[in-house]
This record gives sequence, C-alpha cells and structure tokens, in this order.
Amino acid sequence: MGVKRSRDGPMAEEKPEQSSSPFVAMFEGFRTELDEHHDRRERIIKASRDITASSKKIIFTLQRVRAVGQAVPAFVNKKNAEYWETIEKQYKSIAADLQGLNAYRYSHNITGGNQEFMEALSFQHYLETQSLISLEEVQSRISTMSGDVGTVTFTPEDYILGVCDMTGELMRFSVTSMATNGKLPSGKHIESNKRLKQDSNQDETGDQMDIDDQVPAAAAYTQKPRTVLDDLRAIRLQLEMFEAPGGSRFATELETKKMPVMRECVDKVEKGLYGLTVRGNERPKGWMPDMGSGRGAEVESY
Amino acid sequence: MAAQSGMVNPAIFQDLQARVDEDTAVRDELRDIIQALEKHNRNVSFVLSRAHSTPVSDLPETLKSAQEPMNNVIDTVSRLSQAASKMPYYKFNNMWSRQMQGACESALFWGWLGGYNKVDDEVQCGRLLTIEELGEMFKIPVNLKDRDEFHLSLEEYLQSLITLVEELTRLARNAVTLGDFERPLLINRFVKDLHAGFQILNLKNDSLRRRSDGLKYRVKDVEDVVYDLSLRNLVPKQGEQKE
Repeated sequence: MGVKRSRDGPMAEEKPEQSSSPFVAMFEGFRTELDEHHDRRERIIKASRDITASSKKIIFTLQRVRAVGQAVPAFVNKKNAEYWETIEKQYKSIAADLQGLNAYRYSHNITGGNQEFMEALSFQHYLETQSLISLEEVQSRISTMSGDVGTVTFTPEDYILGVCDMTGELMRFSVTSMATNGKLPSGKHIESNKRLKQDSNQDETGDQMDIDDQVPAAAAYTQKPRTVLDDLRAIRLQLEMFEAPGGSRFATELETKKMPVMRECVDKVEKGLYGLTVRGNERPKGWMPDMGSGRGAEVESY
Repeated sequence: MAAQSGMVNPAIFQDLQARVDEDTAVRDELRDIIQALEKHNRNVSFVLSRAHSTPVSDLPETLKSAQEPMNNVIDTVSRLSQAASKMPYYKFNNMWSRQMQGACESALFWGWLGGYNKVDDEVQCGRLLTIEELGEMFKIPVNLKDRDEFHLSLEEYLQSLITLVEELTRLARNAVTLGDFERPLLINRFVKDLHAGFQILNLKNDSLRRRSDGLKYRVKDVEDVVYDLSLRNLVPKQGEQKE
C-alpha cells in the first residue's frame, strides 16, 4: 500500500487510511477470533442438521413397528444401525467445540439436533419398554457418544421439547395401528396388571388420574394393560403441569408451538378411538373383546 | 405418584421442574442488578450528553460530574459479575448484554472525551479505550476463552464501538455549532480509522454485520461536515489536529 500511496499522489490523504489505521492490528486480532467463532458455529449447525436428518430416518423405521413393550424387530435395528452411527460420529465431531464456556454459547445451534435425537431415542425407548426415558438416560447416552473430550450438553429444555415432539410419533403410531389392526397398541396383560395396581395404590396426585377417575373401584379395569393413549395422556398431564420460566425463549417456544401440537396429537388419537368405539360393531372381530367394554366406559365419561 | 413401572416416572418431571425453577431464581436475582445497571447507564449518558453543548475548555467540568455516575456503573457491573459468575456465562448473557453494551458505550465516549487517566484539567479528546482497558476499568475479565466466567465479550465491545461512532458523528456537527472546527477533523480521522478496522472483519449475517454496515454512512456524515468547513476555509491549519 505504501507504494500505491506515492503513486496516487494527491489522493494520498484519503485513500491510504484503510491501511494506516492505528486500530488495524487490534482488529486483525478480532478477525481471527470472530473467524474461529463462525467456523465453530457452522460446524455445530451442520452436525445438528445431520443429527436431525438421521434421527428422522430412525423414527421413520420405528414407525413400522406394531408392538409395544418388547424389543424392536431385528429389521429395525439392522436398518437403523447406520443412522445411529452417523449420529454418534456427529456428536463426537463437535464435542470439543461444545466444552466449557462454549457449551451454552452454541446451545441454540445444537438444540435442533438434540431435540430430534431425543425424539428418536425416546420413541424407541417407549416401543421397547412402554415408558418415558429419563433426562439422565439421554444425557448418559450422549455422553458416551461424545467421547473423551467431554460431553455435549443436553439441557432440560431440549428434553422437554423433545418429549413434545415424541407425542407426535406416538400419535402416528397409534393412528396407523388403529387403521391397520383396528385397535390401539397396548402393553402386556399380566405385567401391566401389576403396574396399574401399583398405580392405583400409590398414585395420589398422579399422572394416571384420568384412568382412576373414570373407574373408581377399578378392580376390573386394572386388568387392562395400558394403551398408547393412556401413556399419551400421562405425558400430556406432566407437560401441562410443567411450569416453564415466564418470558424465556423456551417458554414461548413451548407454549406457542409445542404444547398446542402436543394437545392436538392426543386429541387425534382420542378421536380415532372414538371412531373405533362408535363404529365398533361394524368392525371385524378381534378387537371387540379387548377394547369394547372398557372403552365404552371411557366414551361415556367424555 | 405412579411407580416407576408406569409410563412416566414422576421423578423425571419433578427433577426437571426443580432445575428450571433454579434458573428462574437466578434470573430473578440478576434482573434486579441489571435494572440497576440500566438506571446508572442512563445517568452517565445524561451527564455525558452535555458534551454536545460544551466547548472543550469546559469539558473537565462535565467529565467531573460524570465521575460519580460512572463509579455507580462500575460498582453495579462488579455486582453483576459476582452474581453471574456462578452460572454458565452464555446461559444468561442475553439478559445483560444490552446493558453491558450500554456501560461500554458510556465508558468509551467518556474515554474519548478525555476522561480516562485524566491527570490535570487539560483534556485530550480522541482516545479509544481498548477492550482490555474497559475490563480494567470495570474490574472484569474480557474476551474469555479458557474459563467460564462473567466477562466483557468481544461482540459487546464491537457493538459499543459502533454506538461510539454514531455518538461522535453527532458531536462533529455540534462541535461546529459551538465554533469548534478542530474536533470534526479529529472525529473524521477517528471514525475513518474505526471504519477501516471494521472492514477487516469477516462478519456474518448477524446484528453486528447489520449495524456495521451503517458505519459508512456515519463516515460520510462526518466527511460532509469536514467538507462544509473546508469549503469555507474554516479548517484549522494542519498539525493542530491531535491524534
């Protein structure tokens, strides 16, 4: 630039300022830092997208499962193995970028991937155990995948928002099952008999309240295994009772987007079941002895 | 509540609620401090805005009256620093980022007017406080990377630099009104230098980018003032302008 200045002659006063600014050295330092920040951010956003895409594929395969409370069929594990692998690779690749100070700096860049992963993981967990996976289980899974540098942070917010999304999968799962088999998927008899008895003994404010309300002296009813709808309602109840910190971005997201969708999902399954119940006699047999009486009571209570 | 064998182990949501409530408590504590900071920032800029109608010779007076509100800002920042250092910095920093920028803006303007390290009643305008100097002043670390504590972030500093340019653009015109034809030249130089600095940065499409895009208009505004002066032969002889 020095050469240029002498050549420019009269323009010298105006032009060379760009290179002669006393702050250039300082800003060059800033540039390095901002570049590092942007690169890191982009790596994380990319990983988050890949995690999201793989999770969606996993969910897609899981939607072909028809039973609850048992190990998923072999074809599911076989098909999904590569997607789980991709997810693990992605988490490992950004774990170093998300340590210490940076864990929360980029949390809104990774939250999309985290939520979708939660959705896939919790859906499979549900299909296999008919229960909701805990925050700690998700965290430890991510921690294992993150490798030695330290875990990728998975926040309670990611968890809650992921649970909301998972209800959408349970809805699809239920509706598909009702359409193809003419009934709601439910758990095993004997096991859930034991479960529900425990519930009605210990449940005081409980997540299973709706069931207990409908059948106060529930001797006969406790024989019934829990259906996906029972579980959806249990999740809905917990989510409705959950109090998000007022005014936070998380609360807005939850209240304006996720919760309405979640409610709609439960509604859809209830509507589907209503259809099954009122038009039940027109259905081929096979579901009647199982669903008929119990569900009849439920319809009346609505 | 339902036993673990139910769909939802109630402990899960109890625990989630407890964690989220903890965050709410932290937010509440921080909110008070941040509101106080906002108030003190206003007080400083109230005093410093007199610079727009004060000739350089009377500036020491203005700087002196800014000292007390400045001290309040500094105290509040260190209170904030203590409270916020208990938590992951980036978890809550959007709560106070604007107010920290406000504090920096005041400090930068105050420093530019000659408030920083002022020895006697002679003030010298045109000093840019570095991010390190601001950190020293507020007694907080700056631009941290290796540990998770409260600090002044680079983005906050850069944002306040842009505000400083806007403030100085205004001052360039007002100086002329006061019959001061020297400071517009000083400001012209300073603003161009800062603008050159910003042009080095590779900014992504964020708020910093949008605001720094406006810098060139401020540079032009000041150039127009200088142009008006030179057209009328009002520009003081070279060598009189200070760096």
